[in-house]
Amino acid sequence: MAGAIIENMSTKKLCIVGGILLIFQVIAFLVGGLIAPSPTTAVPYVSVKCIDVRKNHHKTKWLIPWGPNQCEKIRDLDEAMSRQIEANDIVFAVHIPLPTKEMSPWFQFILVILQLDIAFKKNNEIKENAEITLDVSLAYRDDLFSEWKEMAHAVETRKLKCTFASPKTKEHEGRHYDCDVLPFMEIGTVAHKFYLINIRLPVNERKLINVGIGEIRDVRLVGIHQNGGFTKVWFAMKTFLTPSIFIIMVWYWRRITMMTRAPVLLEKVIFALGISMTFINIPVEWFSIGFDWTWMLLFGDIRQGIFYAMLLSFWIIFCGEHMMDQNERNRLSGYWKQVGPIAVGAFCLFIFDMCERGVQLKNPFYSIWTTDVGTELAMAFIIVAGICLCLYFLFLCFMVFQVFRNISGKQSSLPAMSKARRLHYEGLIFRFKFLMLITLACAAMTIIFFIVSQVTEGHWKWGDFEVQVNSAFFTGIYGMWNLYVFALMFLYAPSHKNYGEDQSNGDVGVSSGEALQLTTTITHVDGPTEVYKLSRKEAQE
Amino acid sequence: YLAKLSSVGSISEEETCEKLKGLIQRQVQMCKRNLEVMDSVRRGAQLAIEECQYQFRNRRWNCSTLDTLPVFGKVVTQGTREAAFVYAISSAGVAFAVTRACSSGELEKCGCDRTVHGVSPQGKWRGQWPGASHNIAYGVAFSQSFVDVRERSKGASSSRALMNLHNNEAGRKAILSNMRVECKCHGVSGSCEVKTCWKAMPPFRKVGNVLKEKFDGATEVEQRKVGSTKVLVPKNSQFKPHTDEDLVYLDSSPDFCDHDLKNGVLGTSGRHCNKTSKAIDGCELMCCGRGFHTEEVEVVERCSCKFHWCCFVKCKQCHRVVEMHTCR
Repeated sequence: MAGAIIENMSTKKLCIVGGILLIFQVIAFLVGGLIAPSPTTAVPYVSVKCIDVRKNHHKTKWLIPWGPNQCEKIRDLDEAMSRQIEANDIVFAVHIPLPTKEMSPWFQFILVILQLDIAFKKNNEIKENAEITLDVSLAYRDDLFSEWKEMAHAVETRKLKCTFASPKTKEHEGRHYDCDVLPFMEIGTVAHKFYLINIRLPVNERKLINVGIGEIRDVRLVGIHQNGGFTKVWFAMKTFLTPSIFIIMVWYWRRITMMTRAPVLLEKVIFALGISMTFINIPVEWFSIGFDWTWMLLFGDIRQGIFYAMLLSFWIIFCGEHMMDQNERNRLSGYWKQVGPIAVGAFCLFIFDMCERGVQLKNPFYSIWTTDVGTELAMAFIIVAGICLCLYFLFLCFMVFQVFRNISGKQSSLPAMSKARRLHYEGLIFRFKFLMLITLACAAMTIIFFIVSQVTEGHWKWGDFEVQVNSAFFTGIYGMWNLYVFALMFLYAPSHKNYGEDQSNGDVGVSSGEALQLTTTITHVDGPTEVYKLSRKEAQE
Repeated sequence: YLAKLSSVGSISEEETCEKLKGLIQRQVQMCKRNLEVMDSVRRGAQLAIEECQYQFRNRRWNCSTLDTLPVFGKVVTQGTREAAFVYAISSAGVAFAVTRACSSGELEKCGCDRTVHGVSPQGKWRGQWPGASHNIAYGVAFSQSFVDVRERSKGASSSRALMNLHNNEAGRKAILSNMRVECKCHGVSGSCEVKTCWKAMPPFRKVGNVLKEKFDGATEVEQRKVGSTKVLVPKNSQFKPHTDEDLVYLDSSPDFCDHDLKNGVLGTSGRHCNKTSKAIDGCELMCCGRGFHTEEVEVVERCSCKFHWCCFVKCKQCHRVVEMHTCR
């Protein structure tokens, strides 16, 4: 009972397993590319300019842009000028969604961003570092006739970052500034059918609120939500993957507990990786269809974070345990230098996410980037996380380099061994390298697909045939890492086969001695370690 | 004809459709079927006229409208450069206004209308909402069927019809090829792992600027038969052929110097001009060599103003004496 399955499996079987995994991988890509729609849709909304005719605006009254009970509208702000309507009486109203449509819980989230159309006027320019103050409120209702219920209300400031492409002369008055899009709102569940946003831009000259922001012509919003079809495909995929990973996990752990020795660190780490993968896979999102759980978005982030941290730690420990020096490892504390940065980085990102999405649970209009302090804080967290990541990769590269150097060092002592033994260990080293390559290929695939999905348009078309590249990216990469974890647990589970049986045509006496020796060593692909120990033994003999 | 729509109050009943002057029978039918859209068509026409007048404010022909029909005078009924611009900006204006109305929720049946071609139900079976590009597709398709139907009903064989169709399309292309792509990242912790992009319409001023450039570089064309179809080819074969986005014209323009009501030319007498400029807004060219009056006028200007983002301006009044030049 020694060695991992990968050591004892014949090349033919390994190829079969690889082929099956490859087929599943292709299926994962095709599911995204052919069945699912693109992951998200952006719907542009142009706000309707309503006039709030009541004298005091204290009582909340909702101004509806269209449909029954719609507000008193003005076409453009020149009309407001001629009718002498004050800026404080103008309310920009947006109804999400557009007429004849309804929102659905399948959309998972709504992200709204704000775009301002600001016209250039020679004597009413946007001032340096101008800030715009928005008095925003959000309401919902579930049918077309009931009252609007308030969901959130806040007074928010946003920095205006605008440039003017033409020279600032009287000639070019009326042209619009190019303004950066502003984050506006994010809600983590879409539990209601209709949403209404009312935006006011209150002016207070004494407090310098909304002064020097130019001449606003229009307020436009863009609502981004996940596509229902994509959500369904995604859920289906998760529901299918959860039991598959769970079963292999149980099988793996049963094999380890069946052994006489206690599990070693690498085995534990692989098991932990399996747990974190299952944690991501468990389709708790199904509940978001029935319940109004706004924290789902944050929860998803945390689950992903745990998995990434686990994966990075696994790589480090995997390399460390294959280092063929005499340091005693097999303890997590031996890796504090490498795992430390991962923990710090993950913690930083967690804090950052809590500051952004965590606060958004309370106030959907909140954004950490709007204030100077917030921006600096956010940047600090991200930079620290970035440094940690760089540090980690330096460690990782260094360790991989060391492992390969040691392997090539030991390889030179191989010819001194008996033929069967040599073939066996050469195979071991090959398979170790093979797994390194698989890991690299997975990482490279992720990066390549990420870049492809960033630079190309969302879908490719050949005549009537359409492939959703972005969806294929998500399902494909998600499937890939699942398969990776699956393969890891399958190939690195302790093998039933005995080395004695395996090498029956070799020297029986030596092989039984080896088997004895091997049970005391750390198992799995510890080919190189074994090679080292064996060569030392031979030298002693 | 289109511009005439802009003067009508609001179009809310079917009868108004028939009272509208300048529409052909097919357009009246479309008007009745798409009442809610007609208001946007009217706004589009207004937008087009305003933009036209802005772009041509310094030229001899300044896009001024007449109360008669056709509103721009005969200049536009002939196949001139100016006509090319007017057709292009009008069809762009309609597409622009309809698209906007779609986004603000004013039009209920954006995209559901079967009479408007070119809107495919693509992506429906995948459970996906029509996204940002959908509204513009609807706006353009509506402009195509409403504006172009005039020429098509005449039979698209005359050179004028071909020219108008081409320029209408060029106007819409001016919007389509100037769409801005905007993106937003919203992955884990706001990373670009998940990115959504959409196309945003350019401001109409930008469309006007593009078309004005096309106006300056417009190609003079003539009709020729290629195979069984008639096409427009550049008159001067040395020029490279025009693209879909270029404006084309058949006849050269008059000089617009003299008042000629029969042809709807107002002439330049009484127009202000710029004494120092050597360009078309300069007094030399603008007044067609007839000379100009100069008078000193005291203008009351607003200065050191305090603005709000909307509707409120508090200014001091400054008096200033300026020289004003007016064409004879």
